[in-house]
Amino acid sequence: MSPGSRGLSVLLCLLFTLTGLVLHHPAARADETPGFIQDGQLTLCTNPTLPPMTFVNGSDTTALAGMDIDLARLLAARWHATFVPDTMDFEGMFPSLAARRCGMVISGVLRQSGREKNYDAVPYADSALVVVARAGAPKLTAMTDLSGKTIATQSGTSYAARIEKENDTLRAEGRTPIIVQQYPTEDQVVQQVLIGRVNAFISQDVELYYRQKQLGGKVSIIFKPDYPDYRQFAIYIRKNAEDRVQLQRAIDDLTSGGEIAGLEKKWGVSGEHEQVFSEKNAPARFDFATFFSALTSVAFLKGAALTLTIAVLSHMMAIVISIPIAMRLNGPDSPLKFILSAYVAVFRGAPTLLQLLFIWNALPQFLPFFREHWFTPFLATWLSLSINESAYQVEINRAALRAVDPGQRLAADALGMKSAQVYRHVIFPQALRIALPPTINEFISLLKTTSLASVISLQELLAVTQIQVARTFEFTEYYSAALIYYLAMVFFFLYLQKRIERRFAWADRNKASANVA
Amino acid sequence: MSHSLLPDPASRISIRNLSKFYKDFLALDRISLDIARGEKIVVLGPSGSGKSTLIRCLNRIEPHDSGVLMIDGKIIDGKTDLTELRGTVGMVFQNYNLFPHLSAVDNCTLAPRLVRGTAREAADAAARRYLEQVGIAEQADKYPIQLSGGQQQRVAIARALCMNPEIILFDEPTAALDPEAISGIVSIMDDLAAQEITTVCVTHEMGFARRIADRIVFMDRGAILEVAPPEDFFTSPKTDRARNFLDRMIRY
Ligand SMILES: Nc1ncnc2c1ncn2[C@@H]1O[C@H](COP(=O)(O)OP(=O)(O)OP(=O)(O)O)[C@@H](O)[C@H]1O
Ligand SMILES: [Mg+2]
Repeated sequence: MSPGSRGLSVLLCLLFTLTGLVLHHPAARADETPGFIQDGQLTLCTNPTLPPMTFVNGSDTTALAGMDIDLARLLAARWHATFVPDTMDFEGMFPSLAARRCGMVISGVLRQSGREKNYDAVPYADSALVVVARAGAPKLTAMTDLSGKTIATQSGTSYAARIEKENDTLRAEGRTPIIVQQYPTEDQVVQQVLIGRVNAFISQDVELYYRQKQLGGKVSIIFKPDYPDYRQFAIYIRKNAEDRVQLQRAIDDLTSGGEIAGLEKKWGVSGEHEQVFSEKNAPARFDFATFFSALTSVAFLKGAALTLTIAVLSHMMAIVISIPIAMRLNGPDSPLKFILSAYVAVFRGAPTLLQLLFIWNALPQFLPFFREHWFTPFLATWLSLSINESAYQVEINRAALRAVDPGQRLAADALGMKSAQVYRHVIFPQALRIALPPTINEFISLLKTTSLASVISLQELLAVTQIQVARTFEFTEYYSAALIYYLAMVFFFLYLQKRIERRFAWADRNKASANVA
Repeated sequence: MSHSLLPDPASRISIRNLSKFYKDFLALDRISLDIARGEKIVVLGPSGSGKSTLIRCLNRIEPHDSGVLMIDGKIIDGKTDLTELRGTVGMVFQNYNLFPHLSAVDNCTLAPRLVRGTAREAADAAARRYLEQVGIAEQADKYPIQLSGGQQQRVAIARALCMNPEIILFDEPTAALDPEAISGIVSIMDDLAAQEITTVCVTHEMGFARRIADRIVFMDRGAILEVAPPEDFFTSPKTDRARNFLDRMIRY
């Protein structure tokens, strides 16, 4: 190193030190990291089935897109944080926010006084509520015109509660109330109108504009009620006055800087799209190309692999847990037996969905340990399904163990075999034959139960399907592809059962003979 | 009956004042008995008299509550190595209790392989030899479900023999068999005696008892009432209860 360059590096060192001092100076306090940024990360809770705000734009389910996502990225950049999206069902978002699983919710959620009681809201875009019916339906003059009609809304949204207020008015006037059906995803809501099951659905205008490609010509806006609670989309954070001020300032900056307007333009979130929306488009029937591309897509393959993995792991764990429990429960009375009976009763009694939500959302409130990053949706699902399934498997194992003639144990004992040997070589092989068919049955049912895990954001097969449907509205094609995957998996296990049952020829006189011959 | 208070180490089996309770129910009431090497004992008695309980105490499938049980001079109690004891004392059941998921030969080799660590080939060869001895060599590879009752009972005997026991306990081995099958079992038991194996057999078949027994033990209400050679027992029983028992057995 030459003397000259050494001088330069000393200078650079000084410069860095100075910069460091300046950065740590209290003068920079105004832009201190807000509480919703944790460990240098901005974690976003979002339900990506709401285009153009938040959705999956392509077959890769991890690639999120939409105005909300772009906005979150801008906010993350503002505080030099890494952007970490966490996708989940609509119902899962606010509990997750409360459980500190994420710093904020941006998911096309409206600013509403009800929600602001528990969370701070900062609006970032305008919107309007629209009532949509099949093309050609007569326009309404008031919401009460829907008296006696059926409408669909997305569950977890506040539309149903709003309609209930209209119903109060209707009831006061002695008229028939509006009937509300709620569906977990927006695409299902739209589908109800398309197939004619309901008269209309309620949505936000921006979403409809985005859907013009899929819906153009098939539906039309029949009414735009001016509800105060439905005029703005808002970012939600946990209540904190300072955080709120910081977030508001950030949104103000992005608005005055034109960034938000740019996003609105990019995602078509503005009124000028209403015109285009009513133009006609030729509706497609079953599109085989879509179906085959879904069938062979990496997203579906991954979803199916996840479904299969979680089901197999959960059932294996369930079997491991359930065998000792079943043996205990078949044994003499004891306090432990009482506790184990209670375990079985509770986990057989409680709905699986409730157990999943409990472990994911409620457990972290008691044990902060479960709030940490290692506790992924996969682990949570594995934990809850293992416990849940073990309760069922205990009953299967108990019946199977009891069905083995007690004389078998006696004979094995009389031959001097150790207890573990008796179980391993005499009792389990016979119990297995009895337990196998109900166990495979349980497994098949578990394979389908895994779809519940989408509520805690596990991207299993059905979640992948719904995300794809939300993007494209090609229900039939994607549902069919998912069906093929489920059936293929189920048939494989039925085949496996047949193969294993061949080894039980000893229990059937005719088959046993065929084996020897 | 006169027994010294102490067990006799020279006997194969020596029992003194053996009692057994099921909760409050006295199933065995101060049993004392000596059984010599190679002896064939038949235990008779009405249903519920404690015959099964007695022989189950001999291999400690049922542990006794008081009294002394001695086999080959060794006291059998809670400290006894059960694996070793059950290698010495084999057992054959009324319902055979074969392992249905294993072929006849595998039924015979399972315990030697697991308990004794015998290699598969050696265990297999021994099993086939014993299956031959009990006359069903050609059934060796069949599953129990494919065998008749008599054949299954022979497999059960071969299975017990594979552990090279010195004593075999039989609990009504012929109860589920037809007369022809019974005569087959009789000749097998003669064979066992020739090999110096001591047998203790519970039965309800008077003809069978008479044919195989060196001595008859008659039990009632958990106690031994008579011990006598079959000729004496069947022609001139000493107690009223034995007489009543024999009357009833012969009438039916
Ligand atoms: N595990 C048990 N628990 C409670 N009581 C029992 C048990 N086993 C046997 N007993 C009782 O002990 C008594 C003797 O039974 P045991 O089976 O020894 O009779 P047994 O002479 O073999 O009769 P059988 O000729 O009917 O086989 C019977 O009154 C029976 O009810
Ligand atoms: Mg009995």
